[in-house]
Amino acid sequence: MKNVVIAGYSRSPFTPVYRGQLARVRPDDLVAQVIKGLMNKASVNQQDIEDLILGCAFPEGEQGMNLARLVVHLAGLPISIAGMTVNRFCGSSMQAIHIAAGAIQMNAGEVFICAGVESMSRVPMGGYNMMPNPGLYKSYPEAYLNMGETAENLAEQYRVNRVDQEAFSLESHRKAYKAQQNGFFDDEIVVIETAKDGMVSKDGCIRSDSTAEDLAALKPSFHAKGSVTAGTSSPLTDGATAVLVCSEEYADSHGLNKLARIKSIAVSACAPEIMGIGPVNATQKALQRAGLTLDDIDIVELNEAFAAQALAVLDDLPISALKLNLDGGALALGHPLGATGARIVGKAASLLQRQNKQYALATQCIGGGQGIATILEAI
Amino acid sequence: MNIEKVAVIGAGVMGASIAAHMSNAGIPVYLFDIVPASGNGSVKSRNVIAETAVEKLLKANPAPLMHKKNARLITTGNIEDHLELLSEVDWVIEAVIEDLGIKKMLYLKLEKVCRSDAVISSNTSTLPLRQLVNGLSADFQSRFMITHFFNPPRYMRLLELVSSTATQKTLIDSVREFVDIKLGKNCVECKDTMGFIANRIGIYWVQYGLLEAFKQGISVEEADAVLSAPFGIPKTGIFGLLDLVGLDLIPHILESMKQLPVDDAFHDINETLDLFAQMISDGYTGRKGKGGFYRLNKKDGKRVKESIDLNTGKYRQSEKPLLACLKVAHKQGLQAYLSLDDKNARYAWTVISKTLLYAANLVPEISDEITSIDEAMRLGYNWQLGPFELLDKMGIDWFVNKLKQENSAVKVPSILNASPFYKTESGILEYRSLSNRFQPVPRAEGVLLLSDIKLKSSAILENDSASLWDIGDGVACFEFHSKMNTFDMESLSLLRQSIKKVEQDFVALVIHNEADNFSAGANLALLMTAIEHKDWGSVKGLIQQGQQTFLNVKYAPFPVVSAPTGLALGGGCEVLLHCDAIQAHAELYTGLVEVGVGLVPGWGGCKEYLRRTLQIKSIGGPIPPVVRAFQTIAMAQVSKSAMEAKDLLYLSASDGITMNKTRLLADAKNKALTLSQDYSAPEIVDFKLPGKTAKILLGMSTHAFRVVGKITAYDVQVADKLATVLTGGDCELLEPLTEQQVLDLECEVFTEIVQQGGTVDRLEHMLKTGKPLRN
Repeated sequence: MKNVVIAGYSRSPFTPVYRGQLARVRPDDLVAQVIKGLMNKASVNQQDIEDLILGCAFPEGEQGMNLARLVVHLAGLPISIAGMTVNRFCGSSMQAIHIAAGAIQMNAGEVFICAGVESMSRVPMGGYNMMPNPGLYKSYPEAYLNMGETAENLAEQYRVNRVDQEAFSLESHRKAYKAQQNGFFDDEIVVIETAKDGMVSKDGCIRSDSTAEDLAALKPSFHAKGSVTAGTSSPLTDGATAVLVCSEEYADSHGLNKLARIKSIAVSACAPEIMGIGPVNATQKALQRAGLTLDDIDIVELNEAFAAQALAVLDDLPISALKLNLDGGALALGHPLGATGARIVGKAASLLQRQNKQYALATQCIGGGQGIATILEAI
Repeated sequence: MNIEKVAVIGAGVMGASIAAHMSNAGIPVYLFDIVPASGNGSVKSRNVIAETAVEKLLKANPAPLMHKKNARLITTGNIEDHLELLSEVDWVIEAVIEDLGIKKMLYLKLEKVCRSDAVISSNTSTLPLRQLVNGLSADFQSRFMITHFFNPPRYMRLLELVSSTATQKTLIDSVREFVDIKLGKNCVECKDTMGFIANRIGIYWVQYGLLEAFKQGISVEEADAVLSAPFGIPKTGIFGLLDLVGLDLIPHILESMKQLPVDDAFHDINETLDLFAQMISDGYTGRKGKGGFYRLNKKDGKRVKESIDLNTGKYRQSEKPLLACLKVAHKQGLQAYLSLDDKNARYAWTVISKTLLYAANLVPEISDEITSIDEAMRLGYNWQLGPFELLDKMGIDWFVNKLKQENSAVKVPSILNASPFYKTESGILEYRSLSNRFQPVPRAEGVLLLSDIKLKSSAILENDSASLWDIGDGVACFEFHSKMNTFDMESLSLLRQSIKKVEQDFVALVIHNEADNFSAGANLALLMTAIEHKDWGSVKGLIQQGQQTFLNVKYAPFPVVSAPTGLALGGGCEVLLHCDAIQAHAELYTGLVEVGVGLVPGWGGCKEYLRRTLQIKSIGGPIPPVVRAFQTIAMAQVSKSAMEAKDLLYLSASDGITMNKTRLLADAKNKALTLSQDYSAPEIVDFKLPGKTAKILLGMSTHAFRVVGKITAYDVQVADKLATVLTGGDCELLEPLTEQQVLDLECEVFTEIVQQGGTVDRLEHMLKTGKPLRN
């Protein structure tokens, strides 16, 4: 079978909803700019691109109408490129990569743009017209449980206390701030042109100044007696990501920068009321398919939907802090739902190169009770 | 001259609040102050005083702004860098520190930059006009006046205006008209005397009451109780009022009053008690300070109201005085009350008699017209009756005789030698002028008062709860006058009769009354009686009658315009929602608050509110309109102004807002007459509602609120019932409900919810305490 590689990774700055500098940018325009940035960086022959696969968790309104095909035009890509919008909630753009990988191995294309976008400012979580199924809600209300409560469930089940959650969150911000200072995001960020705020080049959610005392003073966000606060939940965020996925042969023949090879992929599902534990099963499946153990993994990008959720996962998947989310995670950077999966795959691939390591894992939990994982290997 | 742009110099509490009220009127306004000594040269630091003032405006309570967005009309600056901008404005209001030298320095600067036709006025409360303009050019004097706003300017309806013989009449007229129509204030012209009208009498009353309470051993609670309700004076009385305005203000006023003529009675009481001075120096300056004569103290986690013991100067727990004399006042009137041989009643007599006598002695020194004095006290101190109206109420002869019995040497001013001050002649309210001749109480052009109409005509239809009046030009006015203007069977019945009558004899109907509050909603006592008897048939009947009555209002073959002011809650809001148009007083506090007493709106309130949200075109789909309606009604959102009522959709974009309450009826009548040309009743609309799926969605959000502790257990149950109505019950998305089907759903859910214990508890608690129960 053909080898599949990640041959380019770009993203927009991630900025907080409403007050952030990207709140007034349409999501289709946002992701189109990121794709243009990716095209500038990767010297790919655009006529060779088979499909634009675009992840989005709430594909309606400005994110509706099979966004992917419209973005082909907005990004100035050849009309010959197809477009597909994918929804697996938070796993959407990682799923986009998986679809491309499968297609390449099926000999159904050589080069794919796999992207993700979410304007949580412009299309609210749940969408404009959430209409739960009355019968299902009656028989199985957990299927619709809100994310905050699932985090509280895990905190309780895994006895994750508030102090640990807050320390984890502070550490995520510290790492992200340091990475920002070191210029580690400069290469991946595409500067976004906005009508109101000019050129936007910097992430907006990272806090360098919050303290343990600040976090301890916050009220619980989801349960009066709970432990999960705004400080230990990933912030609502606007952002877009794109990666270039192609066969290794194509990358070689066209002189593309191969960041990493996709070794294995997996999705899994679990009880919706503890959706945050999803990465455990997905990771185990992917490891098995790769013929690896957790110890073999050098770099881990574990999405931080909630500190309680990430800590619960780490309870089942003992991963050294030295390998985990080296440039910070979603608690600090933000979590634009549809854009996150491609970000952590792109990030893990870049880190393999930067840190000169062998194997990387990117994994995340998904609302409704799912997990998704990708294992990468250095070239 | 048209006043279209204004500047306020001095961004203290008064200056900033005046600027805020200009913005409420939609007038762009500059707010300037000095450059602080700490300024570091940056623009921001040079404007910091005015900018901080605007930030405070946005947070202040009660809010000086009718809508936060109004703050955008206020442009901040400083008097060093931005004076030239004043050439753009039509009126400059000086509200700087009460220092003659500083004010005059500023005037010299203003004279150079202001346009030659611009008005310049001072908001001074303690400096005479003649001193302010002394030495300034004739041109300046011709454009100068004192415009004295009362604090807080948004809410206090009085503006005292002092001009000189040099002031141009046309400028006075421009200011009067602007202040009346745009700012909603009644302008009372005063002579150039210390304290003008309201503070001259008001501060005398406060000061006399304070000293006398000490002397006679009356507690602060007793003093405030016996001096307030019996006279139609706000329940803050004197001590509560001092807390409200700030104790530290008083020494300044007392100091300025020393300039009064030597024989003025004010000098007899112009002293500051040690306790008073001590409280100020210790920071107990009232509500803005650490506390005043009253304070709310936290004890064991509970807030306890405490009062100063005038003997010890220390706080103790407040007591609600249960005074027999107050009952006498309520049942038998002022004469009986003030004749009682009772410590507190004697105190009340002493204070009020001295105050009224003082006021009578001030004619014509402070004003030639008793109407101006009465109006100033009504609007500046919120007295229901001015001093001369009070004298009429208690009987002038009786008052004079009682004074003479106490002290045969008492000097009684000649205006007390005749009686009364006011009378009605051929349906016109008249007052006694200085020359002892009666003449009509003046009304500004365009003002229409129901109280005036009532004097000269009798009701067309009438029962205990409501009346129908002919207000001229083919327009009728429906007035509620039940207790708190609540709706009961009588008012509903008269409204139905009125609709028939108007259809025959009139072209339009206005729903309006002149009470402080338009309507407190349905009469809950009536509902409670039916619940106690488990008479569910009656409950259903009550709902259906209300629904039918309001449908009659909506589909009447003539326009119906509501003209509300103050509170319009529950049923009071539902009637508004059924009218063709609303002409609201700017101070309108309206909302569907039924959930607070465990109910859902049942007289078409849910239906009409849904109709409004379903018309919003900005976001499509079946869910958002329902969510919007649910958020508003489940949270019992009440507007804090008519402007905010538009945001909340209680008012529609085309509904009008009147700033001056006395112009409300006239504006509503004009609106009704305009609508009556080519009028056709509104079309019947269907309601496309999402049904059960939306109810689940709303339930999910209610659940989230509950687990995070923001709502109570019974709130969840009430929200669930409300969600049933707003989502259309079991309806199918593609089969729209008729208006009647939504009304039937309201009725069905209402009849269910009143049978729940939690609702009964809420209703009982509200009827007993006047406050909502959080069960």
